[in-house]
Amino acid sequence: MVTNDATLLRVKHDVLYEVAKAAWDGQLDEKKEEIPYRLIPGPQAQFRCCIYKEREIIRQRVKLAVGQCPSGKDSSNVVQVINAACEECPIASYIVTDNCRKCMGKACQNSCHFGAITMGENRAHIDPNKCKECGMCANACPYNAIAHLERPCKKACPVDAITYDEYGICVIDEKKCIQCGMCIHSCPFGAIGSKTFIVDVINLIRAGKRVVAMIAPAVEGQFGPDITMASWRTALKKIGFADMIEVALGGDMTAASEAEEWAEAYKEGKKMTTSCCPAFVNMIKQHFPMLLDNMSTTVSPMCGVSRMIKAEDPETVTVFIGPCIAKKSETMDLNIQGNADYALTLGEARAMLRAKGVELEPEENTLQNGSVFGKRFGNGGGVTAAVLQCLKEQGENADINVMKCNGAAECKKALLLLKAGKLPADFVEGMACVGGCVGGPSKHKTEQEAKKARDLLIGQADKREVHENLGNYPMDKFSMHRH
Amino acid sequence: MRVTICIGSACHLKGSREVISQMQELVAQNGLAAKVDLNGAFCSGNCVKEGVCVTVDGELYSVKPEETKGFFEKEILGRM
Repeated sequence: MVTNDATLLRVKHDVLYEVAKAAWDGQLDEKKEEIPYRLIPGPQAQFRCCIYKEREIIRQRVKLAVGQCPSGKDSSNVVQVINAACEECPIASYIVTDNCRKCMGKACQNSCHFGAITMGENRAHIDPNKCKECGMCANACPYNAIAHLERPCKKACPVDAITYDEYGICVIDEKKCIQCGMCIHSCPFGAIGSKTFIVDVINLIRAGKRVVAMIAPAVEGQFGPDITMASWRTALKKIGFADMIEVALGGDMTAASEAEEWAEAYKEGKKMTTSCCPAFVNMIKQHFPMLLDNMSTTVSPMCGVSRMIKAEDPETVTVFIGPCIAKKSETMDLNIQGNADYALTLGEARAMLRAKGVELEPEENTLQNGSVFGKRFGNGGGVTAAVLQCLKEQGENADINVMKCNGAAECKKALLLLKAGKLPADFVEGMACVGGCVGGPSKHKTEQEAKKARDLLIGQADKREVHENLGNYPMDKFSMHRH
Repeated sequence: MRVTICIGSACHLKGSREVISQMQELVAQNGLAAKVDLNGAFCSGNCVKEGVCVTVDGELYSVKPEETKGFFEKEILGRM
């Protein structure tokens, strides 16, 4: 991923690689304890105060990689704090810096409504007990001498789920956390991560189970113009997956089903939201439960494809691969039947490949399971475009007003409006990541970096329509609704 | 009521998917969708037990696929 430096990514990937390798060799239990020593050989510490702390952090990362909580506590949250790695960033949010000239004007003092600012020996001082964090002083200072310090994790969280304990260590409020994963890559110390299913997937492949991979539409273009969906299928088959299907096909399934729902709701004058983004669904469930009735009952593209695979062979294990963290929580919601058994991030899938000595190789762009509309599901506005296309294909009215929410903050705003009965639009497209799934927390390249390759690859796809494409699949063998 | 069923690979091989689909059916048949919340759980390290790891409001049980119906009647319906 992109926001933080390569060192952090290398450490995270090394842990996943070592765990995957030991699991492929069937020696995880024996080798697990050796990983911290192999990755941190010493005697000099590289990143932290000492090698013992560095090794403890690796130990906690290994726990996450095998699907356990790093601190040993019992918690079902997918997103977890790696306590040992949390650097207890300052919590006081406004501080006076060296830029302060203790000027005569004292705009800071004059602008503060709470009497929190006094003059110290060299510079102004903000009393944290009086400061209400309004930011007036920072705006007022003509020297930009007042800095706003906010923990990056806390700043990144769209639902205010990040708190801290009495020692200043980050704590996630699991009742609020929607598993979007925004905090994970925001932390410059890599102190937040997510539990992974890599060991489970490897064990089931090794046990001879039929395991099928389902690749998210957002993945197309992430690894340059030469790495196609066919490249992914070839690589995944080399490490023991039985097959691979594009979840873009599921995008077509979800769009067709939602189009039917929307057409009906529109006639009844009922406002509705999408239900394909798992973090958006979690946001509704946990923060706006009164709006559950407005949420589409259509299952996600991932679930649609999984149900199709399981309708043919219920014993098949289905594994989603994409840039998403929240998908992991969707697989754990067992109130939905037939959903994917496991979800992996791109980094986790690549660690599994590399641990077997397999890389993604350029291959001709011949594999296409979804229409272009399904493929664009992973872009902001893509769901709406696909649903409108379906309405047109069915001769329904496609002149409807959709509020396309780009990122969790916009989602929250739309849901607040819907709750208050003031939503101007007829429908809400909820995407918790900015840019849609292509902006997911575990992306390999940013939306902009990948755009050219993505447009090129999707441009090579044929122009089949959504219903025309679904005509090739056994849509009568499974339901596209939650219950 | 919060029910968790282990979805780790060891429990998978002991039939967790069978336990899950039976539970889903039983919850639906008894009209308990609003009362029983079925969740997956990562491996809790209790793999030595013969059955699949299931918890009901935090209490751990070991359930084999063929025992699912009886378990549901006793531990889930029984607590309603």
